[in-house]
Amino acid sequence: MNRLGIIVVGAAVIFAIAVPFFLKPFGIYLISMWAVLTIAAMGLNLTLGYAGQISLAQGAFVGIGAYTTALLIQAGWPYPIVFISAGLLCFAIGWGLGYPALRVQHHYLAFVTLAFTTLVFLVLRNEEWLTRGIYGISGIARPTLLGWSTANARDFYFFCLGALTVIAAATWWMLRSPWGRAFIALRENPIRALSLGLDTRRYTLMAFAIGSGLAGLSGALYAPLVQFIEPNSFALGLSFNLLLMVIVGGGGCFFGPFVGALVAVLLPEWMRITQSYYLMVYAAIVMLLLAFCPSGLLGLIERVIKATRGRRGPDGIAPNAERANP
Amino acid sequence: MTAVLQVSNLRKTFGGITAVDGVSFEVRDGEILGIIGPNGSGKSTLFNCVLGQLLPTGGQVHVDGKPTTGMRPCDLNRLGVSRTFQLLQVFPQLSVRDNLIVAGQEHQGSMYTRLFGRADAGLGDAADRMIEFFRLSHLADEQAGSLSYGQQKLLDAAMAFMAGPRLVLLDEPAGGVNLTMLANLRERLQAYHSEHKATFVVIEHQMEFVMALCTRVLVLAEGRIIAGGAPQEIRSNPAVIDAYLGHGSARP
Amino acid sequence: MASFIQLLVSGLATGAIYALIAVGFTLLWQTSQTINFAQGEFVMLPAFFILSAMNWGAPFWLAALIGIALSVAILGLLFKIIIVDPMLRHGVLPLVISTIALSLFLKESVKDFYSSQAQPFPALVPSTDIHIFDAVISTQSLAVLAVAIVTVVALQVLLNKTRVGRCMQATAQNPTLARILGIPTRRMVLYTFLINGVLVAVASILVSPIYLAKFTNGETLGMAAFVAAIIGGYNQVRGAILGGVILGILDNLSAAYVSSQYRGAFPLLVLIAVILLRPQGLFGRIEERTV
Repeated sequence: MNRLGIIVVGAAVIFAIAVPFFLKPFGIYLISMWAVLTIAAMGLNLTLGYAGQISLAQGAFVGIGAYTTALLIQAGWPYPIVFISAGLLCFAIGWGLGYPALRVQHHYLAFVTLAFTTLVFLVLRNEEWLTRGIYGISGIARPTLLGWSTANARDFYFFCLGALTVIAAATWWMLRSPWGRAFIALRENPIRALSLGLDTRRYTLMAFAIGSGLAGLSGALYAPLVQFIEPNSFALGLSFNLLLMVIVGGGGCFFGPFVGALVAVLLPEWMRITQSYYLMVYAAIVMLLLAFCPSGLLGLIERVIKATRGRRGPDGIAPNAERANP
Repeated sequence: MTAVLQVSNLRKTFGGITAVDGVSFEVRDGEILGIIGPNGSGKSTLFNCVLGQLLPTGGQVHVDGKPTTGMRPCDLNRLGVSRTFQLLQVFPQLSVRDNLIVAGQEHQGSMYTRLFGRADAGLGDAADRMIEFFRLSHLADEQAGSLSYGQQKLLDAAMAFMAGPRLVLLDEPAGGVNLTMLANLRERLQAYHSEHKATFVVIEHQMEFVMALCTRVLVLAEGRIIAGGAPQEIRSNPAVIDAYLGHGSARP
Repeated sequence: MASFIQLLVSGLATGAIYALIAVGFTLLWQTSQTINFAQGEFVMLPAFFILSAMNWGAPFWLAALIGIALSVAILGLLFKIIIVDPMLRHGVLPLVISTIALSLFLKESVKDFYSSQAQPFPALVPSTDIHIFDAVISTQSLAVLAVAIVTVVALQVLLNKTRVGRCMQATAQNPTLARILGIPTRRMVLYTFLINGVLVAVASILVSPIYLAKFTNGETLGMAAFVAAIIGGYNQVRGAILGGVILGILDNLSAAYVSSQYRGAFPLLVLIAVILLRPQGLFGRIEERTV
């Protein structure tokens, strides 16, 4: 990350910490939702932006995480264990789902995850004995950690922000490790990667499973944030929404999900007047972006920066490429 | 002594077309084998079958006596077989050094130990040495996509050598490279070969390159081997000349 | 026995509709690597073209023709020119995501601009019941079956017996070779899109009287298309037909014997089973690794 990037991120962090003191409860709810959805979007970014697989089940995994959390909290389990369990459960299910689907080429994972999302919805809706069906689960308590109660809106926001920071740091560290290099190689030139001993299937599966696990963690925060969950929140719509977030922000960029989630959370608010049209506009924006700037908003910004800097010549070759071998 | 590579009766058909028709040969330890032939003779298909990129219709492949027919390319690579490509050679957005680290990292420990190990998988120094060997030091931190074509070819070869392979298959290494760079590439390949006692198999069109580099040459035409021997013998072999002239290509 | 025949006939009718949708989907996939996630919405939409035409006073037969024409023009030609061609330059992944966004866009557009309520849709024939061997079969099922069969047969004749059709098949199997042989591959690909436009419009006319025209129809129909195509082997048209019929029959049988709460789950379980046990489907070949 270059110096400009560090300054921008630093400013954003300060902004994120300061802003809740100037917002009403609904505003704080929105930024908490942003933090929670960013985690899920980060997971999908791993699957889609790094490993190049389409998952339409990210919303369903958020749902599994949320329901697991709600039920275990109400059964008296301590929150930290619930949090980790939600993540591990979704990781395991993701692995199980992805293992057969990724053996085949041709984006079969997209169909399998589409089917899975609908199945999850049906189970959540029908198995009332477990999930209370369409009546949902209400009164989900916000956790108290080491004596600090997060019941207050602002306190819960800082809890979400803290979780986001830790998860983002862990993901950043993973992407700096050989795994990150492997994901990029897998994305850029899978045939070359395979010929160098890189097990593309294993890495893709790992990216999908981790991505699903992150959705589970997101769900573990979602449940106490909204404090009432029902099956409809986790139907295909949420998976689409997360997919669009990743694209809009910029797939394969580390900060893409942050930007995408911000757009997704704020867009319905900006379009209050035309509220019912917002999904249509959102979808249209995505199609336009894909046509003109597939690397999303961050990619667009990067292009603008490169153009103004003029670092590369018009043919894209770095100036010192001409100093070829003797 | 078992051959490093043994191809037995390999066949590959696509629908009604037989691209490789019962090819058998051996590659001995330490030799540089060239495979030449006119366009459409099945050289690339043969390569891809040996390397697991295509599933052969018939026949077998053995590396160091172990059967490897139809093995996935990544598993084959871990047995010590690596390759260079005609096209699609490097990872454009990674730096040159990172390209080399990727090329070697899958041989360091297991996938899980690599997650918790060093960011460069302990290959930083090895990568730098390889960069120096191929005289790319001034480009070590540049994005691979910004290198010239000839430089990318060198990087491609460097990546194939990174894991210290037993056997390297080079697919048209000289394609599209200018004469100076070509001489440099050939010289570096020979230097690597003598330093590490590696075994090469090279597919090439360019005769000068093959004649200067290879110790033995096989000639493929219409999916079958029609001649084999030392480069000078091949040059004057009537069957070979016929195969080339008959296809309208230039005389070898 | 009687009820079994009834289920079989209605299953065949449903299956025939699924087959039409799946064939169009497979054709696009085969010839141009277009995985059209909006295929379900493509079937949902023409019904609304027809209803709109009828709202402006056109009689049903005319509205139906207008609907088919609009479908070919918009869901065939415009879809190819505006979305598929520009996207394919960036690769298959952006195209697939575009079609996902498109499905959302179409669904929401109908909901916002027409109605969120289910609309009644005129049937092809007045719904009466015939009695054959004790079984009660509706004329509607038979009409659906007849129209679907005629369409599929016509398509098969087109693909196998005409020069254009064989060129299309050649383009699907090996585009490079087809181009070398002088086949105008771009035009062949365009034809597959236009054909899909016809197929989805016909399917729409057949299915809307039964399900009513609703903006959410695309979800289940799309899913059925994907499952049928994968059952049959994604790269085989006759596989899609067989897959559709099998799915339709199984679907109707399960409706009778499985709780209605989980009825929608059936195609999904079939899909997961196929991918686990026989991913190449009934007719597909195990894929070569790509070079």
